[in-house]
Amino acid sequence: MAVIGNKKYSKQIEHHFSKYPDKRSAVMPLLYIAQEEYGWVNDDGIQEVAELCELDPTHVKSIAGFYTMYSEKSKGKYWLQVCTDLSCALRGADEFHKDLKAYLEVEEGGTTDDDLFTVEHVMCLAACDNAPMLQCNFHYMENLDMEKMKAWVEEKRAELQKELDA
Amino acid sequence: MVTPVKEDTELVTINIDGKDYQVPKGGNLVDMAKWVAGNDIPVFCYHPKMDPVGMCRMCLIELGGVARDRATGDIQYNDDGTPQIRWFPKLQTACTQTVNDGMYIKTNTEQVKEGRESVIEFLLTSHPLDCPICDKGGECPLQNLTMAHGNGVSRMYFDDKMHLNKHYPLGDLIYLDRERCIQCARCIRFQDEIVGDDVLAFHERGRRLQIITNSDPGFDTYFSGNTTDICPVGALTTGDFRFGARPWELTEVPSISPWDAAGENISLSTRLDRDFGGKAMIKRVMPRQNEYVNEIWISDKTRFGHHFTRSDNRLSKIQIRKGSNFSESTWDSTFKAVAKTLKEANGSVAAIAGGSATNEDLYELAQLVTGLGGDKLGAWSPTHTGADLVAQVGLPEGSNLGELGAGDAILVIASDLEEEVPMWRLRLKTAQDRGAYLVVANGRNTRLEELATEDPNIKGRVVDGAAIRYEAGSAAAVMANLKKSNKDIAKKLADANHLVIVAGAEGLTLEGHRALVQSAANFLIDSGHAGKVNSGLLVPLPGANGMGLHYMGFSPETTQDIAANPPKVLIVLNAEILDDDPTAKTWLSQVDTVITLGYFMDAIARESKFVLPVQTFAERDGSFTNGERRVQRFYTAQGPMGDAIPAWKAVGNIAQAADLGRAKLSAAAVMVAIAKNVAAFEGITYKVLARTERQFPDVGGDDKYYGGNAYQNTGGIGKQIALSGTAKSEKVTVPDALKAGKGEIVLLPTTRLYDRSHMFIPTVMVRSRVSLPFVHLNPKDAKALKLADGDYAEVNYDGGSVRVRAVVSDDVSVGAAVFPRKLTEKATPLVPTVGTITKVTEPAQIEG
Ligand code: SF4
Ligand code: FES
Ligand code: FES
Repeated sequence: MAVIGNKKYSKQIEHHFSKYPDKRSAVMPLLYIAQEEYGWVNDDGIQEVAELCELDPTHVKSIAGFYTMYSEKSKGKYWLQVCTDLSCALRGADEFHKDLKAYLEVEEGGTTDDDLFTVEHVMCLAACDNAPMLQCNFHYMENLDMEKMKAWVEEKRAELQKELDA
Repeated sequence: MVTPVKEDTELVTINIDGKDYQVPKGGNLVDMAKWVAGNDIPVFCYHPKMDPVGMCRMCLIELGGVARDRATGDIQYNDDGTPQIRWFPKLQTACTQTVNDGMYIKTNTEQVKEGRESVIEFLLTSHPLDCPICDKGGECPLQNLTMAHGNGVSRMYFDDKMHLNKHYPLGDLIYLDRERCIQCARCIRFQDEIVGDDVLAFHERGRRLQIITNSDPGFDTYFSGNTTDICPVGALTTGDFRFGARPWELTEVPSISPWDAAGENISLSTRLDRDFGGKAMIKRVMPRQNEYVNEIWISDKTRFGHHFTRSDNRLSKIQIRKGSNFSESTWDSTFKAVAKTLKEANGSVAAIAGGSATNEDLYELAQLVTGLGGDKLGAWSPTHTGADLVAQVGLPEGSNLGELGAGDAILVIASDLEEEVPMWRLRLKTAQDRGAYLVVANGRNTRLEELATEDPNIKGRVVDGAAIRYEAGSAAAVMANLKKSNKDIAKKLADANHLVIVAGAEGLTLEGHRALVQSAANFLIDSGHAGKVNSGLLVPLPGANGMGLHYMGFSPETTQDIAANPPKVLIVLNAEILDDDPTAKTWLSQVDTVITLGYFMDAIARESKFVLPVQTFAERDGSFTNGERRVQRFYTAQGPMGDAIPAWKAVGNIAQAADLGRAKLSAAAVMVAIAKNVAAFEGITYKVLARTERQFPDVGGDDKYYGGNAYQNTGGIGKQIALSGTAKSEKVTVPDALKAGKGEIVLLPTTRLYDRSHMFIPTVMVRSRVSLPFVHLNPKDAKALKLADGDYAEVNYDGGSVRVRAVVSDDVSVGAAVFPRKLTEKATPLVPTVGTITKVTEPAQIEG
């Protein structure tokens, strides 16, 4: 799909534009939409955001590059950001992070062969009390352990399989 | 003189290192310290042609001001009666300071020294230090400032340096070395502020900050090469020069761009080179500062287009026709043979010369023709006229397009300036950025129109401009009736402090262009702008010496006359008549003998009896008169090509062989004769043309930042010819626009900067950017012809036909097809003409 002409986003885009005097000012929220759509800020997303905001794609790329919350590397469908900061680590988050990578057979920052999961560690997400926790495509999953995680992973894999079969 | 201090400038007093100086209020501290105190505050990111950004911190100084009582505003005094100075506790960036009264700075204290040293060290933490193989080595501001202000030793671990792409193509012509970049953003700001094509930006941040372009097309403006000059390190290099030579091996020879009416001042960097048989060879072309003409910029065509001077296709031997073959000959016998042929014509002799012939060549040629009893001197190409009016209501002496700004107005009509005279387009666009009102009138969309009207909200600039789109071919009528049909615009133009009108010939016949230029002159006269400094008329005459043609007596109207009444013998100098004009062969067939002096064995040369090789601007001395009537000289830079000699010499010797007086011995001697016999050139000598003066901003001398790149003008800033005559507002009869019959269409030739002409095509590196041949139609016209965008089409016109791509969009007006010249090897219409366009269905080879 795409960002432009995608019903899913048209309301949101309108909303963001309505907040600013110039279209160009909406570039950052729109980049989030592109990131949501493609899983990362790819060239298509940059082009579309540039078109929407009436900006030169070079500048959109420049903005995406400056802020670390935009990812310019290809990601799996589920981008799992595990907090391994001190409070979480005290509750076993770093073990959890290691086990998760082992289970998915990926390196830090890597993506599984089926393009479903990308794992990386991040700093405090302000959910220390519910550690181990992670952020999946910017949505929190809390109070995790490997059992729960495995079940969730397999569920997603089954979903993919079903899609492929169909 | 170009100085920051004008008669009406308010002066303020600043104190630099304990000494008081008077400086113009509002000036930039870095510029002023250099101008009045010769104090070179080191900079990397600051550039006097661009807004300060304060990014590199190299310009740190101690800054203070006279202390005032906060409540009363009274100056506070020390016990000894001197005013108290309040110093900022920390170092400040000089480049972001505007001078004001009572400003105190210190540039030589320990603190400043340490600040500079630290910034240098910081910039070098991850610099590759590959100066031995760096093109900038030897003229690199980073190198220079490191020598001047650096510590001399590094505390960094060499192994910890970042390794990044060192050969990143930032477009076809420019390469980026990401390790060397010091993130000054000069290149970004140049594209944004000077060119108006904002396609470079930073990506990432901190240590990983990089220059990128993600635009389409990317970094491919007609000015891209300038970024390599202002880049303070070797991060940006041109594909043309990189790894080509070391700067210290090069001899800088002052020269003038041979391409267009701007007359950009350049410096040819030459060295004795193996690739050119051990002779002096142009290795690169650099801008030479002339604030009146090109400031410190040049177009990419000027920078990269020098290859034709050494092209294998250059004519290097005399060719004399014997039957259908040519044989070589010597100069002496050729002078005699040509003289004999000319004398036998009994006065039925005429000449046509093009815009790359110099003043000296043209003068000698005119002497020869008139000496033989002929009187017809034609200017090539007969597309543009009005040089006589530029001589009367052009920009007066002392004018400078760089001074146009708020309160001033510019009208560009019937010209695609970006393609015709890129330097004018650059300077007029920056004038608009300074506040001038810019109106672009044309029958189609052009780059300058976009710039004149771009939404100010998007670019964040105050843009005061307007566009007038008229029916194709009706420029003259629009100009003549401007006050009626575009009342508001006309009023704004007429009321401006200064008004510059650029009157091109796009879509016009020669008669139509005459009407346009006269109407433009009328407008200037009626509004009272004629004769006022910084106001006047410009015509983008083709070639580097369009005005020289006029002053030496050559006119396009005479060219038409020659075509209508062909002489027995025709002398052709630097005019590719047959390659340019498909209809020329008809009348040329009635000429008995053609004598051609040129650079190439082009179509007219192949039809000639005598073909004489002449030297280009690179191999000889000479002078051009630019579109602002500035006579500028260039010097011998490159070694000779074969037997070619300067045209003035060839012509002078022919005259001598024809008993018309002795040939002159040097270009300077020809100029002496010109000064004596051509009123406009009175007082002009090579010495006068070689005069230089201090220019603001001062990029020369031994400053260590932007002076590294051969910018300084040591060859002369030329001399502008004073206005002459008294043009009156005259009634204009606008000729009827061409009408197409049924099934026909009007073809409007336009100029492209990058074309397939003999002179430009040897520049191989730019070849991929020469557009494929096309014809551009409005959807309405295309529909009638059953053409869709991208179709192949055959264009038929008087004297030929060619297959091209059809481009369909409403960027062009209804009723005519835009058909650029010189994109094919075949001659396509030179002037507007009626033709037909038919769709080609079989997959056809398009020409190009
Ligand atoms: S490439 Fe050169 S001009 Fe551009 S930011 Fe880097 S150092 Fe400055
Ligand atoms: S430390 Fe992990 S969420 Fe705060
Ligand atoms: S901060 Fe002043 S020159 Fe860079």
